[in-house]
Amino acid sequence: MRKKWISVLLSAVMCVSVLTGCGQNGAGGQTAPSDAPETMQEQQPADAQADGQDAEKTASGEKITLQFWNVFTGSDGDILREIVDNYNKTNTDNIEIQMDIMPNDQLQQKLPAAIATGTAPDFVLFGVENIAPYVSNDSLEDISDFWDVTGVDKSNILENVLELSHVDGKLYGAPMQYNVSYLYWNKDLFAEAGLDPEKAPATMDELAEYAVKLTDPEKNQYGLALPTSVTYMQFLWANGGDADDPSTNTNLLDSEENVKTLEWLQDLMVNKKVSPASITGPEADTMLQAGQIGMYMSGPWQINGLRAQGINFGIAPCVAGSAGAFSPAGGCSYVIPKGTEESHKLAAYKFMQYWLTDDILKEWSQRNGFPVWSKTLMEDPEIQNDEVLSAISKATEIGRSYNLGYSLASQIDNDVMIPLFEKVMTGAAVPEDALKEASEAMDRVLAQ
Amino acid sequence: MTESKVKKRRYAAQNQKSAYLFILPSMTILSVFVFIPLIASFVISLTDMNIFMKDVSFVGVTNFTRLFSDSRVSNATINSLYFTLLEVPLQVGLALFLTVCLAKNSRYCKMLRSIYYLPFVCSMTAIGIVWSMLLDPNMGLVAYWLKQAGFQTVSFLKDPDLAMPTVIVVTAWKGFGYTLTLLAAAVLNIPQSLYEAAQMDGAGSFQKFLHITIPGIWPTISFCIVTTTIGAMQMFDQAYVMTQGGPLNRTETVVQYIYDRGFQTAPYDLGYASAISVYLFVIVAVMTFVLRRFVLKGGEDADA
Repeated sequence: MRKKWISVLLSAVMCVSVLTGCGQNGAGGQTAPSDAPETMQEQQPADAQADGQDAEKTASGEKITLQFWNVFTGSDGDILREIVDNYNKTNTDNIEIQMDIMPNDQLQQKLPAAIATGTAPDFVLFGVENIAPYVSNDSLEDISDFWDVTGVDKSNILENVLELSHVDGKLYGAPMQYNVSYLYWNKDLFAEAGLDPEKAPATMDELAEYAVKLTDPEKNQYGLALPTSVTYMQFLWANGGDADDPSTNTNLLDSEENVKTLEWLQDLMVNKKVSPASITGPEADTMLQAGQIGMYMSGPWQINGLRAQGINFGIAPCVAGSAGAFSPAGGCSYVIPKGTEESHKLAAYKFMQYWLTDDILKEWSQRNGFPVWSKTLMEDPEIQNDEVLSAISKATEIGRSYNLGYSLASQIDNDVMIPLFEKVMTGAAVPEDALKEASEAMDRVLAQ
Repeated sequence: MTESKVKKRRYAAQNQKSAYLFILPSMTILSVFVFIPLIASFVISLTDMNIFMKDVSFVGVTNFTRLFSDSRVSNATINSLYFTLLEVPLQVGLALFLTVCLAKNSRYCKMLRSIYYLPFVCSMTAIGIVWSMLLDPNMGLVAYWLKQAGFQTVSFLKDPDLAMPTVIVVTAWKGFGYTLTLLAAAVLNIPQSLYEAAQMDGAGSFQKFLHITIPGIWPTISFCIVTTTIGAMQMFDQAYVMTQGGPLNRTETVVQYIYDRGFQTAPYDLGYASAISVYLFVIVAVMTFVLRRFVLKGGEDADA
């Protein structure tokens, strides 16, 4: 009898412990990532506190804790953390920001599920290309009242930068940084190859010519790094071609100009072998920092790494073709997920307002090498005398938006453009066939 | 008479009750993490649903008709089959060969078996990263050795034709130690007297292997083949870490494509991703069924 009791008791204990274990998981939602329940637990007390004392909050200065997710995993993330820490210490509104940095992949998996289950952070910082898909799923707060509430002068910000945070005329994000692709070149390698180290190539022909001269397989040295996992809109645009027109949903791939550009690109990769075959972006970054790459097109985030490795480099605008020079623009914005409560939204506005002051923008630009887009800051003598920043500002003038604000953008990239460039650059198909195939794929995507 | 029968039945019923109680914990875990998601994915595959879970609508078999005209699904299926057909024989064959060499309980054999087992306990992600660094054509150690030896640099993971074989070899390298351990345990259980009798009949070592060792461990071999095949059809992490499905989607497996549709490419089409996982589920179920019949039957033949 006693034995039986013990066994029943033990089984009961086991069942209960298993059930509670599962209960916790269930609360987070099946699709919620593993640490979502944790975040929720952290958040709930804070929310409850804020709920209870909402009314007297401003009077008594109750503390507001904001959850903040972003994708700044590089060295710029350390600088961002410093700025946020400093804000936590100095702000007079008793706001504390708790910051979580995660890779973009991970954020894109967690955030939609978190918004759907009401466990999203109070504000998020991510690439502007994400804004449109989130808005089309009604997952971001409309913050068009931002200028009125905070009194930030909208006219002081460059129009093309502001444009990136708008969808259908409504504001969904506060601009944080803006960038285009630049052409980096290694001055020491230029000098060794007998080229003028102070003169970057200006045209596609010059780019190809220099790239061949700079390539030396014996030394494992390449003239121009061209990773295969990205798109090269700058080349298509330079010759007057394009991929699609987001405003009319038209497919623009199948054109003479594109064939010409892709033939040039294939010749460069397959016959002249100026780039290591099939490398990824991060691998190209590493080789550039190791001084194995003569020229490379990338964003401002290379600057700190190159400085740290002591590479003697220059920055120039992307090269021009028969139709001019262009460079794909991008940037990051602060956004507020749907369902963030009003008091937290206003607190997030305060931080965004803090970011948009010239002091912070100046610190960010100078320490990271990002272009300046505040009109008053552009007049600042210190900014005007900064060699890197003035080179960048010049290279930023040719920025052009590529499918930004278009909800099909990521599908066009992943299903059409990246495979197209990969096929052309590895020589798996002749440009004409690859383009025809890509054009059909584009039709399928646009038909959705 | 009847009383004792009733007693017996009651006793059995009680026994069963506690048996159910013992199953309950693992049943609960299995239901929450296996059965419920399985049924959920069947249901989701019939809907138009994205990761934001707004405006979910029932669309019938649309996702499945779309699946059969999607060239990336057929490409991924071929890649998965290619991987399975090469990886499973390589891993099981290598393990079987080494089993014959190492099926002694000497200190040397035990040590070697433990060493071969080591990669199996490491995470596939860590192993993938280490191997992609070693094999990198620009800064990898293998490329450096090849260069020193006077060969041309080969970019194992970047070459469309070499990428999948490389992933296969790395996977087999990681997994064969586990298969080896299972097979060695089975071989050590074969009664020594059988070998002695065979020797008296004048059998050579190859004949002993073919007629005693193989039939003796056939159940274990078939277990290894079936589990390795199921694992291989669901291959994801090694290709995700080492090649990201490239070059030219030549290493993109079915699971990777499911992940890509559901979580990587907007509009994060969970309905379509679930349809592909149902499709994979059917393939794996059929393969397992056929394989079990085939290898079990093979075992009977070998016994006879």
